[in-house]
Amino acid sequence: MRANPAEYELVAPGTLPRVLSLLAHDPGAWLPIAGGTDVMVQYSAGKLPSRKLVSIWNLPELRRIDISGGEIQIGAACTYTDLREHETISREFPLVASAAAWTGGIANQNRGTIGGNIVNASPAADSLPALMVYEAELLLVSLRAERRVPYANFHIGYRQTQLAPGELVRAVCLKKQFSGYYAHARKVGARNAQAISKVCLAALGHPANGVIEDLRLAVGSVAPVPMRLAETERIVKGNRIDPQLIQLAKTMAAKEVRPIDDIRSTSRYRAAVTGNLVAEFLERLRAHAGRGETRENVLARWNNLPADKAAEDILPCCGSKTWALAMAKRRPILAEAALLSACDEVWKNLPESDWLEAFRSHPRIGDSHSPVSAPARSASWSGEEQRQVASSGEDVKTALTEGNRAYEQRFNRTFIVCATGKSAPEILEILQRRLQNDEKKELQEAAEQQRQIAHLRLKKWLSL
Amino acid sequence: MSESSEVRLKSEISLTVNGKLETVRVYPMERLLDVLRHELRLTGTKEGCGEGECGSCSVLIDGTLVNSCLIPALQAHGAEIVTIEGLASDGRLQLLQQSFLDCGGAQCGICTPGMILASLHLLKKTPQPTLEEIREGLSGNLCRCTGYMQIFEAVAEAGRRGAAT
Repeated sequence: MRANPAEYELVAPGTLPRVLSLLAHDPGAWLPIAGGTDVMVQYSAGKLPSRKLVSIWNLPELRRIDISGGEIQIGAACTYTDLREHETISREFPLVASAAAWTGGIANQNRGTIGGNIVNASPAADSLPALMVYEAELLLVSLRAERRVPYANFHIGYRQTQLAPGELVRAVCLKKQFSGYYAHARKVGARNAQAISKVCLAALGHPANGVIEDLRLAVGSVAPVPMRLAETERIVKGNRIDPQLIQLAKTMAAKEVRPIDDIRSTSRYRAAVTGNLVAEFLERLRAHAGRGETRENVLARWNNLPADKAAEDILPCCGSKTWALAMAKRRPILAEAALLSACDEVWKNLPESDWLEAFRSHPRIGDSHSPVSAPARSASWSGEEQRQVASSGEDVKTALTEGNRAYEQRFNRTFIVCATGKSAPEILEILQRRLQNDEKKELQEAAEQQRQIAHLRLKKWLSL
Repeated sequence: MSESSEVRLKSEISLTVNGKLETVRVYPMERLLDVLRHELRLTGTKEGCGEGECGSCSVLIDGTLVNSCLIPALQAHGAEIVTIEGLASDGRLQLLQQSFLDCGGAQCGICTPGMILASLHLLKKTPQPTLEEIREGLSGNLCRCTGYMQIFEAVAEAGRRGAAT
C-alpha cells in the first residue's frame, strides 16, 4: 500500500546544531533523511519506523571532506559522487572510490550518502567492506557530546548499530597509512549497476621481503554484518604465497563466512564464491609482489657488479658506451623511477657523437639484421620492437626501404623511431614527415625517440 | 485517533521548473515526482518502479541527475528543476531528442524522458563519451523494448552533434 504523505511530518532545520537539538528534545522520535535513496523506498512501501522525519540533506557541516595531518575526514552526508570525484580518496583509498562507483546508478550515487549507507546497516552495502579493511573510525555526534568508535564495532547485528537515540554519524575517518599496499575489490552480482551484491570483497595486501607482511580481507553479504576474514588473514600473514597457501586460504575463507539463502543467492554459492574471490586476490597479490621482487632483485644484483660489468649489462638498453658507463657510476639505483630519471639525465647531456653511437646500434626499420657490433640482447629487442613492421605488406615495406635510403642520404645516419606499438604505415608517415626537418631539429627528434626506446628497454631489462 | 493517521499541514514550496518559478502547497513528504505530475501537470516525467531502480522518473535538480520518486518535496524547495518538457524550445527539439528520433532510440516511450535526462547529465560532464562511459552513464535507466543499442548510438550521435553545448 502506498504511503499517504498527509500522515508524515518532515522538517529541515538547516544546520547541524539545530538538527541535534531537535533530536535531543525527543530522542528516538525523529528519523533523519539525507539523500533518500533508502528512506524513501521504505516510505513508499509504508515501512518507515517513524512518521516524523528530519532532513539532513546538504547540511554544510556534514557535506565536506577535510584532510589534516595523516587523516581524511569524510562528512557523513557526502554522496557517492563526491567520493568518486575526490582526488585524494581515489588515490589513497581506491577501495572506497570503487565501491562508490558500483553502488546503484549515477542518479543514486548523486543522492546516496556514505553516512546513510553506514546507518542503514545493510550487510550487502558495497562500501562497508572497504571501510573495514582501511580500519575506518566513525565520529558520532549528539547535542551533548562527540565520540569516536571503530567502524568494525559499529554494526552489532543484522541492521543494528551502536548509534544511540539522538546521535548522528558526523564523519568517517580514514588514516593515510596504506602506501605500498596492493588494493583489490570485486563485486559479484546479477549486473554491475543497480544490483545488490551476492558477495563483495575488499582486500589489501602488503608484500615485503618476499612475504605478505600485512593482509586485510573484508566481505559483504555473507553474514548479518560485513565481516573481516580474520582466520584467513592469520594463515596468510607472514608467509610467502604459493599454490598450497592459496588453496588453504580459499578453504578457510569459505568456512569462515556465515551466509544465508535468500532471494539473491544461496548460502553454498556465497561461501564458494568467497573462497574463489580470496584465491583470485592472492593470485594477483602474488604476481604483484613477484614483479616488485624481480625489479628489486635485478637492481640489487646490478648494484653489486664491478663498474665495467655493470656498464656492459645495461648497454643493450641504449647502445652508447658513455651512457652505460655513466649509468654504472650512478649506482646504487634502488627503484625503477630512479633508474628512468637517471637515464634521461645522462642521455640529454651526452655529446652528439655518443647519440650517434646509440643510433648505430639499431637495425634499419624493416631490416631483420642488427649491426654486427650490437649486443645479442639488443638485436632480439629490436626484433620485438619492429614486430608490426615485419608482418606488414610488401608495398609498405618497399616504401620504407626507399624512405630509409632517402633519410640516410639526407642525414647520413639510420632513421630512428620508437617502433613499439606502431604499424608500418604509421612509421612511414613519421619518416616522410621527418624528412622535411632541418638537421638540428631532426637530431633532437631522433634523440627523443632513442630516449623512449631506452625507457621501454630498461623496463624489459628490469623484468629479466 | 492514533498518531499514525494524524493529518499534517501542507507547506508552501517554491521551485523553479524549466526556468519558471512555481509555488505549490503540498505535504512536505509528497514525492517530487507527484508534485511535477499532479500539481504542475508535467506528465513527461514517468513513474516506473517508484523505488529508484528504473530511472524513468529521472530529472535534473540544480544540474544533478536524480530519481524524482526518491525526493521529498521539501528537499526540492528553492531548487532548479529540469524535466523533459524543458528541453525543446520554440518548437525545436533539443539535439539529444533529435538524435533519439534519428537513431530509433525510443520505442514504447516510458523510459525515454529519463534516458534523455540521464544522457544530458552525462554529456554535460563528458561531451564526447565512449561506449563504456555511455553504458555507465545510463546504467540506472532500464529499457524493456530496445535492447539499449539504439539508445547508446543516439547518445554517441548527440555527442558528435554537440548536444551538450
